[in-house]
Amino acid sequence: MLGFAALLSSLFPPLRRLAFLGLAALWGATGASAQSLLAGPVVSTAQVRAELMAHAPQGAAPGATVWVGLQLRHTPDWHTYWKNPGDSGLPTELSWTLPPGVSAGAIQWPTPRKFPLGTLANYGYDGTVLLPVPLTVEPGFSGQQIDVQLQANWLVCRKECIPEEGSFSLRIPVLGSTALNGAAFNDALAAAPSAQPASASQVSPGDGFLQVSLADLPERLRGRPLEFFPEAPGLIEPGSPWTQAWDGSRWTARVPLSPHRADAPAQLALVVAPAQPPGEGPGTDGVRLDVPVQGAWPAVAALPAAVPDALQAALDANAARATGSAGAAPQVSTGARITLWAALAGALLGGLILNLMPCVFPVLAIKVLAFTQHADDRTAHRRSGLAYTAGVVLSFLALGGLLLALRSAGEAIGWGYQLQSPGVIAALVVLFTLIGLNLAGLFEVGNVLPSRLASLQARNPTVDAFLTGVLAVAVASPCTAPFMGASLGLAIALPAWQALAIFGLIGLGMALPYLAASWWPAVARALPRPGPWMQTLRQFLAFPMFATVVWLLWVLGQQTGIDGAASLLLILLALALLVWALGLRGQGRLVLGGGALAALLWLGVAVGPHITRLADPEPAAASATAVEGLAWQPWSAETEAALLAEGRTVFVDFTAAWCVTCQYNKRTTLADTALLTDLAGRQVVLLRADWTRRDPAITAALGRLGRSGVPVYALHRQGSPSQVLTEVLTVEEVRSALDRL
Amino acid sequence: MLQRRPLIALGASALAAPALLHPRTVHAAALIGQPAPDFTLEDTAGKPVTLSRFKGQPVVLEWTNPGCPFVRKHYSGNLQALQKAYTDRGVVWLAINSTEDASADYLTPPQLARWMQEKNAAPTATLMDDEGRVGQAYGARVTPHLYIVNAQGVLVYAGGIDSIPSARVADIDKATNYVRQGLDELLAGRPLSKPTSLPYGCSIKYKG
Repeated sequence: MLGFAALLSSLFPPLRRLAFLGLAALWGATGASAQSLLAGPVVSTAQVRAELMAHAPQGAAPGATVWVGLQLRHTPDWHTYWKNPGDSGLPTELSWTLPPGVSAGAIQWPTPRKFPLGTLANYGYDGTVLLPVPLTVEPGFSGQQIDVQLQANWLVCRKECIPEEGSFSLRIPVLGSTALNGAAFNDALAAAPSAQPASASQVSPGDGFLQVSLADLPERLRGRPLEFFPEAPGLIEPGSPWTQAWDGSRWTARVPLSPHRADAPAQLALVVAPAQPPGEGPGTDGVRLDVPVQGAWPAVAALPAAVPDALQAALDANAARATGSAGAAPQVSTGARITLWAALAGALLGGLILNLMPCVFPVLAIKVLAFTQHADDRTAHRRSGLAYTAGVVLSFLALGGLLLALRSAGEAIGWGYQLQSPGVIAALVVLFTLIGLNLAGLFEVGNVLPSRLASLQARNPTVDAFLTGVLAVAVASPCTAPFMGASLGLAIALPAWQALAIFGLIGLGMALPYLAASWWPAVARALPRPGPWMQTLRQFLAFPMFATVVWLLWVLGQQTGIDGAASLLLILLALALLVWALGLRGQGRLVLGGGALAALLWLGVAVGPHITRLADPEPAAASATAVEGLAWQPWSAETEAALLAEGRTVFVDFTAAWCVTCQYNKRTTLADTALLTDLAGRQVVLLRADWTRRDPAITAALGRLGRSGVPVYALHRQGSPSQVLTEVLTVEEVRSALDRL
Repeated sequence: MLQRRPLIALGASALAAPALLHPRTVHAAALIGQPAPDFTLEDTAGKPVTLSRFKGQPVVLEWTNPGCPFVRKHYSGNLQALQKAYTDRGVVWLAINSTEDASADYLTPPQLARWMQEKNAAPTATLMDDEGRVGQAYGARVTPHLYIVNAQGVLVYAGGIDSIPSARVADIDKATNYVRQGLDELLAGRPLSKPTSLPYGCSIKYKG
């Protein structure tokens, strides 16, 4: 009769499904009463084929190792859950009914894998997985067989979820060997994470993040990107981005805490395993640790609304360094680690290059003009050279100090950040216009500046040189970001004295050419003699100034729209009229000057607000490239994560309208048709992160790459270390980076 | 991706544009003990409903999606009873559906209204959040996910409906209902003994 039922159900599998569904409907109302009638080792639904298995190769006598387990074969795209299901879902539940003298242990969960769903993520298994459970047969047990009954509940999900359940039964002979499914059990037990003592490992909860530091991880994991699975549900945000770093055998990570977590455990059991395991079923090669929690969990209510992400990344880098490595521990491999010495040398070189930047060179030229006036006075030369150097270095140190102060205040700032504020840009436009007008000869500084300050400059060349140094740094700051990306990114992550050393060296590098010229007459003599050419040069230098004004106005236009830019131009017009009128004599000065002042004040009130008001940002749109089918998509961390999850290669261009280097790269390397064709051929997705306006998301992403300025070019692919390319991008570099993937 | 966009007045048009730019807020901005992010959403009849209009009354936010078995578990009577009991005591109950319209289990406003009516549900309003902005702002992850905002507009509870994560109706009576417990404490003027709990259910199918 039983054989007939088995035959019937094997001939008509839908019958069994029907039986199951009927059972599922009955469950809850009638309880377990109906199960035993229908129970067998297998239950199938459209999503899962579930089978109760046993493994007792030496029989099931007292003391023998006996395993039972539920094998779940998922239909493609469906998954069930690990003991911590992640953001949603439920762990599979097994409840056993066993004869007296036999007891079941806990599920030996195989290493899970992560299933991202938008901003959320789950932990579980697809493909085929066996959840093994050890049975303990006590010495007093004297039966001939062990009748195992299992009531299992599982939630199976694709995007939609279906709670399912099944009743299973199985008989294990005590004397015979049950080894048919030995391979499945061996695989499942091998897939279980191996236990490792906590030793020097620890986790410490911080302001919205869990700092994880795991010591002495096995060789097979080292250097690989890992996935982090806490066994307690609800503690972290499984779907949020996080960072990790290797330092020898120590692995550190910063995982976002759930703002609504309900528990504050003193001990955290967790599993780490290689990220993105291939195939399906369980994950691979995990390690399980039960580590102590250091420090107190922050109160749920006391969490800051905004987490200073870049700051935390910096602190992470510090922590990693403190554990013994020489350089910064980058969250991603940047090819080579930047040691402090390399960073200092880079800072010096960057300072030197700053002299050639359009926003520095004219100021330097002003200084050179003044310099030629007393080319015969060597002592005065050296004094002004040293004063200029002091002015530059001290200004850089002051800026560095400000950066550190802001860092400690928890504000994630970037060097070029000031250009994200329209007010700062408008002030710079006014400054550069005035300098340009002055160079062009429209007015003389002595006529406009308070006479005391003007004569101070004239009377005391040393103070004058010092102030020129300060001015040079003030106007240089917009240009610093593109050239000093790596050094500044590192400086942000460094202890205070090292960061200040870097800033000091940038300043020294910038002052060096001038200092050298002032010290060695040979250099000074190489300078042209004073003469009428100076007036010509001075007037010519007005043009780079106005070019800078054009560029800044374009940046302002990006932020405040054409109204803001036009308003500023009107104000500049009135300002030019005013400074010109003030240089006149007699009636004209009074009439025109008064009129210009009135116009300026009126404009300031009437149209001034346009300048500082940010225009509503247009939704970032995809922008096409010269290659058909390849376009730049607006970047967001979610887009990036989703693309990576799909296995795509992603190239991210961190850029800003005010960044000259960015614009240069955009129009050269990134517009190279051959390269674009190559990128399209490799199915690379191009994302553009536009930092023209303040965008904390982009600031945070830059911080994770160890940078605080743009441009940054990053190449990501799941399973490969992210690559950060150089600021001055070449076609060959992009190609070789692609080849390394 | 970390978003630190201020979440005041989500309904305001000025912020609607940046919200479109970054439709995904991964980090919940809504925090216990902090002002609950304000929002304006249309109900199933297209009428706008603004959270801040209910200042002075406690508000329950219930993320729902009738396609989810966990939601159906609690709409076997549990949620209706809660809605009825507490709206009678002056509590505002807003059921919010953040399922994106491309999802297989998305219900149009009339379909959702009909389902709620068939279930004899008694929320103050049933709101449509297809864009997922409000759900993301509150960090709602699952259906059902429940939040309680006190009469001063401060978020005082975020979590599951009760203490037993399962899809079995039979577990409802065995579980501690955290929403009932929290509302009773709130109405009695006491602090909530359980301000957070583990929400369980189906992932919310957000747009994007």
